[in-house]
Amino acid sequence: MEIIKDDNILKIEHVSMRFRMANDRVTSIKEMVTLLLKKKVEFREFWALKDVSFDVRRGEVLGLIGRNGAGKSTTLKIISGILKPTEGSVWRGGNIVPMLELGSGFDYDLTGHENIYLNGAILGYSKKYLQSKYDEILDFSELGDFIHVPIRNYSSGMLMRLAFSIATVVNPEILIVDEILSVGDENFQKKSHARMMELMNGGTTVLFVSHDLGQIRSMCNRVVWLEDHTVKMFSDAAEVCDAYRI
Amino acid sequence: MDVKKYNLKKVGGWLIALCTLLLLMIDLIAWPQIKACRIGVPGFFAVEAGLFALLVFYTVRMIVREKAGKSTALGNLIQIVAKYEFLIEQLVSRDFKIKYKRSVLGVFWSFLNPLLMMLVQYVVFSNLFDVKDPSIRHYAIYLLCGIVIFNGFNDCCNQAMRAITSNASLITKVYVPKVIYPVTKVLSSSINIVLSMIPLLLVTLIYGLFRGLYISWAVLLIPVALVFLISFAVGMGMLLSSLMVFFHDIEFLWGVISMMWMYATPIIYSVGLLERHGAQWLANLMQFNPMYHYVTFMRTIIIDGCSPAISEYLICLICSVLMLAVGGAVFHKTEDKFVLYI
Repeated sequence: MEIIKDDNILKIEHVSMRFRMANDRVTSIKEMVTLLLKKKVEFREFWALKDVSFDVRRGEVLGLIGRNGAGKSTTLKIISGILKPTEGSVWRGGNIVPMLELGSGFDYDLTGHENIYLNGAILGYSKKYLQSKYDEILDFSELGDFIHVPIRNYSSGMLMRLAFSIATVVNPEILIVDEILSVGDENFQKKSHARMMELMNGGTTVLFVSHDLGQIRSMCNRVVWLEDHTVKMFSDAAEVCDAYRI
Repeated sequence: MDVKKYNLKKVGGWLIALCTLLLLMIDLIAWPQIKACRIGVPGFFAVEAGLFALLVFYTVRMIVREKAGKSTALGNLIQIVAKYEFLIEQLVSRDFKIKYKRSVLGVFWSFLNPLLMMLVQYVVFSNLFDVKDPSIRHYAIYLLCGIVIFNGFNDCCNQAMRAITSNASLITKVYVPKVIYPVTKVLSSSINIVLSMIPLLLVTLIYGLFRGLYISWAVLLIPVALVFLISFAVGMGMLLSSLMVFFHDIEFLWGVISMMWMYATPIIYSVGLLERHGAQWLANLMQFNPMYHYVTFMRTIIIDGCSPAISEYLICLICSVLMLAVGGAVFHKTEDKFVLYI
């Protein structure tokens, strides 16, 4: 797909995110009351993001780099709508599917078959879509007849394979990838790595977080460099990667 | 991936048709009560027509505004259901499947549980302690009605309370309107309430053969009672689940409150008993207990075999709507903060 300069699919405008950290997270009424009586409920303000703006063009792969705690995950959560920004706004021109942390939507008492549908529904797929992709998921996961067994009986490798297979039969307009996943034994690792590459080069818009500069340089069109909770640099991949390394 | 949408005209049409059917049924079955009510037959019909007109007005307004490209609260709600229909279906069926998955008798527990409870309480309270009021007819059925309604409600609340906290891993990763979690929990527990109507009616039928208690047309009003009860439970579920995020104490507090509530509701005793023991003030206070009204509603249908008084419909309706409004408001106000606390 050709990337056109002003054809944005996502616009992040002056987004700031403030967290209020109570001295201790109060989770019981008793604590709350005693603290209130002592007037000890103080909030420490913490800005996880300060005035972050960038845009994503339709069809491009946009990289996000930065050190731990720079605000990458917070940015992704705001983009996907999980967190509401304190200030600023996000404009979305398409549906967003996050690449789930593997297995986070699983129910261990259900069979693999049932979990495919449950997990797919959580990711926002329609029943029809899942039915049409079911065989593909099953094939890719190499689970065979085990698909009709409750997944609490799976080995961890089987679980990962199933989770990966569900997570990657996506067809969203915007895909969020937090590190490239490769799981399982050597054979499956190769297969899953190839699948990820195929997904990311397949013409959908991708937001890609990684600590591997090599990957970022080879896959991304443009890169946002976050540092100290704000955008330090936002430009073409090669340029940002060169600056980041120094 | 295209987003599924409902045709609002169709949904609106169904909504109006369903309400018309329901109102007609009430008119028909509750005719003696309508004649006896305080505002008289014309007054009743005026109120009914007013409610119906309000419904038609909102539905038409929703459709018109949709055409003009504007949104309405009701329209938005319907489209959310459309968009997440598959997810709702999956979550409800998961909860229902999981509940009995590893038990031998499976779904039969939905029938057995209230029956066994009734049996135990019948033996205890009609032999060991005499709380029976001579004015109570058919004590076994009286108990069963109370148990089915109250336990159903309690189950809904217990399930819904943990809806947000137990789905924490999903809520922090995928965006889904959070209200779906408590509502699906209540809905899956509601399946149990609906299922428990089967033993209730069956036992009434068999018991009735020997003791002269006959099921009448009034049982057609059971869906009305269940709609009131379930919407009350949905409101309560939303309230509890959002409070639970901020204060985990709610889990333990609710254990005590629900027990208090159970004893405060005339399940094993009757209001007449309170009066006989000189606790008139308690009997008066009972009017403010919504569960008392739901339980009584059910008992009137099953035991008296007739429709409840018209005022009871109104009280139940107000309780449900109020609970839904309070629960919905609290949930809506706090839902953006959930991610920060779970």
